[in-house]
Amino acid sequence: MALPNRTAKAVFPSVADRAFGFVGATAALLSFGLFAWIVWDLARLGLPQISWAYLTGEVQDAGRSGGIGPLLVSTLLILVCCLGLVIPLGTGCALWLSEFVRRGSLAARLVTGGVDLLASVPSIVFGLFGMVFFGQTLRMGFSIVSGGLTLACMILPILVRTTLSALEALPADLRPASAGLGLTRTTAIVKILLPAALPGIVVGITLGIGRALSETAALIFTSGYSIRWPESLDDSGRALSVHIYDLALNVANGSTMASASALVLLALILVVNSAAVALSEHWLRRRHATL
Amino acid sequence: MNSPGISKQNESEAPPGGGGTTRSKVCLSVSSLSVHYRDFTAVSDISLDMPAGEITALVGPSGCGKSSFLHSLNRLTDLVPGCRVTGSIRLSDGTEVTHPKTDVLALRRRIGIVFQRPNPFPQSIRRNFDIPLKEHGWRKRDIADRMESALREVGLWNEVSDRLHKSAIALSGGQQQRLCIARALALEPETILFDEPCSALDPIASGVVEDLIHSLRGKLTVVIVTHNLAQARRIADRAAVFWVREGVGTMVEQGPCERVFTAPSDPDAALYLSGARG
Amino acid sequence: MTSSRNTSLSRSIDRTVQGVLALLALVSGGMVLLIVWYLLANAWPAIEAGRLGSFFADRLWQPGSQRDPQFGVVPMLAGSFLVTFLAVALALPVGLAGAIFHRFYAPPALERWNRRILELLIGVPAVVFGFWGLMVIVPLIVRLAPDSPGQSLLAGGIVLALMILPIITLTSQAALQAVPPAQLQAAAGLGIGRARTIWSIALPAARGGIGAGILLSLARAIGETMAVVLVCGNIPQIPKSLFDGIRPVTSTIALEMGYATASHKALLFCAALLLVLFTAVLVGWISFRRIDADPGTGGA
Repeated sequence: MALPNRTAKAVFPSVADRAFGFVGATAALLSFGLFAWIVWDLARLGLPQISWAYLTGEVQDAGRSGGIGPLLVSTLLILVCCLGLVIPLGTGCALWLSEFVRRGSLAARLVTGGVDLLASVPSIVFGLFGMVFFGQTLRMGFSIVSGGLTLACMILPILVRTTLSALEALPADLRPASAGLGLTRTTAIVKILLPAALPGIVVGITLGIGRALSETAALIFTSGYSIRWPESLDDSGRALSVHIYDLALNVANGSTMASASALVLLALILVVNSAAVALSEHWLRRRHATL
Repeated sequence: MNSPGISKQNESEAPPGGGGTTRSKVCLSVSSLSVHYRDFTAVSDISLDMPAGEITALVGPSGCGKSSFLHSLNRLTDLVPGCRVTGSIRLSDGTEVTHPKTDVLALRRRIGIVFQRPNPFPQSIRRNFDIPLKEHGWRKRDIADRMESALREVGLWNEVSDRLHKSAIALSGGQQQRLCIARALALEPETILFDEPCSALDPIASGVVEDLIHSLRGKLTVVIVTHNLAQARRIADRAAVFWVREGVGTMVEQGPCERVFTAPSDPDAALYLSGARG
Repeated sequence: MTSSRNTSLSRSIDRTVQGVLALLALVSGGMVLLIVWYLLANAWPAIEAGRLGSFFADRLWQPGSQRDPQFGVVPMLAGSFLVTFLAVALALPVGLAGAIFHRFYAPPALERWNRRILELLIGVPAVVFGFWGLMVIVPLIVRLAPDSPGQSLLAGGIVLALMILPIITLTSQAALQAVPPAQLQAAAGLGIGRARTIWSIALPAARGGIGAGILLSLARAIGETMAVVLVCGNIPQIPKSLFDGIRPVTSTIALEMGYATASHKALLFCAALLLVLFTAVLVGWISFRRIDADPGTGGA
């Protein structure tokens, strides 16, 4: 075989290499730019509207004026109901999977498979399910508690997954150490495993809060549209995300106020998600420092 | 600090300074014990008496079932799915360890264990004692005393008394291992099992822990698995040599430490102890 | 100083705790069955009345019409699939190129910031994406095609593409990161250039993980409601061009469930069942592939 024509070959890679680099850089820039673009548009319209009066005031004229006070309270109450169900449910499920059944056993595979499938269910379907199950079968109607419980079902997979991986990341010898001292499994779980896995669980809860805050479709048929100050968990209450939807779809000239609400929601989610990142990095660092 | 009153047992209190020369009371009596994992037999047909107050060393090459045997003594083998133990382990008060009705938690209080890798709970030093002591019913006001005397016993008190609220994970490897020994001692066990307690430590820390184990002689019964033959010879009163025969771990030699090391009757054990094999 | 405790009590506490945890796990794992059961129960009136035939055969969706009620889901299914595939077709090349750039070209510091920004983008609520699309993308399309209303298949495709872009980028990046360094070293040792290494070695090795990311974003896009309901025009028709309005299945449910009654309502539940079926198949496919994949091709 003759010597390959080296110069002819060498040109192609360097051109392709540069092309790859250029296209890639452009694509990467797009994702950087996109976030800035969205925030810029929202801030341009919405930022002038935001004031203390806006954050605490009542909704007026279908949202064209006034504030979002009752909506923030409703959103908070929906979150409280959601976490009240999902924390025990998700932590309990993850504890059972990691401490009481063997990995790969049929029971474990069925439960994790069910949780994974749950994660794939579209949020509008959760809305329908919440409407008929919590709203009609359990007679909660359109209420904050119904919306919160629906969201709990939706973010359950996040919590199960993060808690499970936190428990599985614990040093394996904590279990024989507890057993060797004659501790009951309950003591080992409550006093040793859960405290050690707490950082991971908190990060999971924070991620779940971020997801719940941003959800709209699951809430329109469960917690409803009421814009009054909620007086109890049985009242209907409009979440902030539902307010944005309503302003954008049903209210003419609503986009200025919708921008303001979107900006507030975005800021809340930004804080929650950054908290999750900061917490997990902080705990990761501390772990590296001490182990 | 007397023996705990969890059982009526007490008559087997170790003879002070009881040495390997006099035949003392037996604390743990094992007969025809086998440990199986599903269809694999780790160790088969062991019969061995461990005298009270003495140090019994189990030696042998890797994979000969020493650790499986050790873990069966306080039923830690229960934690391994598919693990089955047959035969008998009798305590001095007549308790049968392998019996399914035996109270496993109380048993593990009486027979403590220290593992190869130090495994303090990732919490404060104080909590490392609080949790097990509370679990086993010590009253609140006694717990601090128990912790202090256990920490003094392992020589750690002066090093940590001013930072009991700090994380146990921040201690050095040797300190962590001594903490784990103190944590086991705090429960006032009759026996402590050591599963290669020095092999994860540096030579200096290893020496400290070895001296510490030696100092327990006469106070309680010690069973130690070690790969370090010199160490076994230095601290043990009695020794048992494990070996793999036809794929199954078994015991080929046992007796007073000096006799086992100087005049082993089994040819494999002789070669192993002389350093020629294993 | 003695220890004492009630062993039978602590044993029964242990058993109770185990029972409670098992129950919680059962509820968590069975939740999806409960959901399917409730969907089925509410869809049943339509199935029982033999409406499924017209559900799949009717060409139009006009459930409210007095004279000629028609219940054809096909226009909505077409809308859902078209907007989903358009979104993935737009997002895949961009996302993949971004992932390659960050894995092979960008300095590590940039890579960290990129991850931050992408995670922020994933956190942006769908309703905010939809609202922003309505404010920004739709007017842009009107400027591009002055005769069209702007709210269209194209608008929905673009907004959905922007939403799934971070998912595709992050999963592809993880898949590229998981390519064994030994393979890249082997290529370098043979004097193979960077572009060819990427094209002929890294991408084939990472295709399993990239594929999983695509399936994941397909599932995400087909189930998305809020972004599409605001920008797609909500016209239940099979579109003839990119500038025609569509109405995906999810939008239909969100818009009509509020007032639907009787068989109309039951058919909306049938549509929800269809959605669950599609996403479950996609997600089931991902986990099936993950089990199946050999270590070299498994990613993300």
